[in-house]
Amino acid sequence: MNEPQEFQPKIIAYVCNWCTYLGADLAGTNRLEYPANVRVIRLPCTGRIDFNLIVKAFEMGGDAVLVSGCHPGDCHYTAGNYHARRRWMLFRPLLEAFGIETERVHFTWISAAEGRKWQQVVAELTETTRKLGPYTGYREICEAKG
Amino acid sequence: MIATLRETCRQLLSDGKVDVVIGYGHDAAADGAEDAPVYPVFITKPEDAGRLVWNDRCHANLAVYLKHEEIRSLGRAAIIVKGCDQRSLVVLEKESQLDRSKIYVIGIACDGLDRPKCRTCDVHEPRGADVIIGHKAAGTGYPCAGGVPSANGTQGLPDTLPDDRYAELRAFLARPSAERLAYWRQELARCVKCYACRQVCPMCYCRRCIVDKNRPQIISTSATLKGNFAWHITRAFHLAGRCVGCEECSRACPMGIDLRLLNLSVAQAAEENFAFRAGDDPAAEPVIGSYAIQDKEDFIR
Amino acid sequence: MSESLSIAALGKLVDCWIAEGRHVTGPRRINGRLLYARLDSAADLDLTEDERPRNSIKQVLFPRHEELYGYKLGHKRIELTESETPIAEQIVVAARPCDAALGPILDHVFNWDYKDTQYNRRRELTTIVTLACRHHDAHCFCTSVGSAPDDPRGSDVMLHAMDEGILEVCCLTEKGSRLFAGRCDNLPSPSSGRGAGGEGISGDIANQPVLPLTPAISHRENGTAPPRRFDLDKVQEFLAQGFEDSRWPDLARRCLGCGACAYTCPTCHCFDIVDEGAGKEGVRARNWDACQFVPFTLHASGHNPRSRQNQRQRQRIYHKFRIYPEKFGPLLCTGCGNCTRNCPVGLGVAPVLAEIARNTP
Repeated sequence: MNEPQEFQPKIIAYVCNWCTYLGADLAGTNRLEYPANVRVIRLPCTGRIDFNLIVKAFEMGGDAVLVSGCHPGDCHYTAGNYHARRRWMLFRPLLEAFGIETERVHFTWISAAEGRKWQQVVAELTETTRKLGPYTGYREICEAKG
Repeated sequence: MIATLRETCRQLLSDGKVDVVIGYGHDAAADGAEDAPVYPVFITKPEDAGRLVWNDRCHANLAVYLKHEEIRSLGRAAIIVKGCDQRSLVVLEKESQLDRSKIYVIGIACDGLDRPKCRTCDVHEPRGADVIIGHKAAGTGYPCAGGVPSANGTQGLPDTLPDDRYAELRAFLARPSAERLAYWRQELARCVKCYACRQVCPMCYCRRCIVDKNRPQIISTSATLKGNFAWHITRAFHLAGRCVGCEECSRACPMGIDLRLLNLSVAQAAEENFAFRAGDDPAAEPVIGSYAIQDKEDFIR
Repeated sequence: MSESLSIAALGKLVDCWIAEGRHVTGPRRINGRLLYARLDSAADLDLTEDERPRNSIKQVLFPRHEELYGYKLGHKRIELTESETPIAEQIVVAARPCDAALGPILDHVFNWDYKDTQYNRRRELTTIVTLACRHHDAHCFCTSVGSAPDDPRGSDVMLHAMDEGILEVCCLTEKGSRLFAGRCDNLPSPSSGRGAGGEGISGDIANQPVLPLTPAISHRENGTAPPRRFDLDKVQEFLAQGFEDSRWPDLARRCLGCGACAYTCPTCHCFDIVDEGAGKEGVRARNWDACQFVPFTLHASGHNPRSRQNQRQRQRIYHKFRIYPEKFGPLLCTGCGNCTRNCPVGLGVAPVLAEIARNTP
């Protein structure tokens, strides 16, 4: 267990049901340990991930966001992840323009067979975010009274 | 030039080719006064064509009215567009919001209205119009629809390249992210959620805007920083690959918030990644809604 | 009491007020635009006279977002908590008379069928110091609605700019007198006494006497007042029977349906109540709303009695020039011109009423 005073980042992970969620499940069944900092939110496909969900994660107190789905060509719905990728290519520059820290937003392809990759990604992400510290920038904005 | 414009419109109306001309004008009592206020007018009678004007205060992007039921109910429309406004027509048509064959497009050759967009304009003469008023053959209109090339061989393109349209954006992005966030925190604190930016935009045509939906309430309607950030991020992203850069949103904002930079950031990403500029090529697929197998993914692990 | 103050001395006074913990609002230049905003120091105050701030001071009495109370869903009960937002003492400095007049006008509706405690509390704690106008722009029309560049309605103190950086200070209410008592420069008062309004008017909202609408000072004579934009009598005549007039669609056709007019208007006061929270906890708040938005009158059934923009525009004019005065007395308009100034397509009250008056024999 971690010491009580160490900062525990909150990682919000939006994952697709068919690949990454199963990959995370595989990590579980293989008893691969990874930090409990990640909160997994399961969606049918990365194509369903509205960009507002990423903003909401920061609004509600997340310190980092992970978005993960099937590899290109393997989408359960054929092209959902292609649409998602297109969307992310345009959304990241918008986040940049707003000054929202894109170092806290991560995208990965993790398949149902990649339990180990899930473990590695979550472990690395947690440490990277721990070093960045809590994301007070956006939270302050959201808590400011009108 | 104004005489040609008025005569063209008068003719269109009296011939019954169109039922309404959407243009810029003075009110009925202005009597041709030079400094009378200019605003959008809807001319339905040939004898009123004299109310139409063209000067450096014709800012509005009139394409926004093509979605208004109050205008559509007037019948077949002719619309006056500057080069920047004409881009809106292309996007609207691509998104099945207007039937190009059902409107008559009067392009007006523009020398700039002293807005930031004018500094890097490359469409002084609108493309894809049924007739252009001004420039080239001075004092007369000439047809240019259907890809008829202009004198330099490429329709509507200037002889010299414009300055970098994204220079201001690049300078802004060079600042540290904390500074950028602080800038928007300061600017968006003034937003009162009047939605002038949305209402003036031809691309915002949803019958029920996402911010007006409350089951569930995805975006806070409050004019708090949280609500203002949520709104402007959403609107900017909903315009990804659709914003033509008419800058009306910035001009319309009563609080003087310069919204252009936000829309520019996504527009630049679209141009950089997909060589795409909204409203340039009627045949190009919209960037959101389409995809390519080879889309770059260097940011994806 | 009528005394003089140099602009520099006013600045020192503003800094004093801020240091004493009061919230001071005044015209401030932001990105080149003149807007009423909180001042961090007197250096922020912009006393440019030939420009009108693009927003109004309404925010100070009726904020665009105001928490009413908090709620927490517990086990089998709901806890309500008082709104946390403290209401501090507020001063508005260099407001225009067409802004200050909103107080006496809005007092009626906020104390009508329900005494709005939050509005009344802010009203009590706010002192309004106006700067009478020596200029007007193409959109001002105070003189068309029975007001004037030096209308004292709603002012606790009225400043008159003289030349050479001197301001004449006329305290019109006790609240105003308390603010300036003993703080003015010891400069000799100008010989031409300015008797705008009366002295010692009680600051008690409920008993505020109705001030004359045509004050003593006539800027009209030296041309600094805006010209009449329309004949109000003709307009009232038309409104009395013109609800179904076929001209409304044309009058409003270019309206885009945004809220720029309503939100920058000193007297527009419609609001929407929202609950904002996450699951078990949240706040109930009120936000500004505008009759120009499509969903303003949208029923749960899907029916919208004002589904067309011309119906919404018509409603705005009627509310301001017929319904409100019939119910409460004053017009719901001070002629500030912000509606037209901020309208992206140049609509607003004055152009519409000018058109109506022009066509009414």
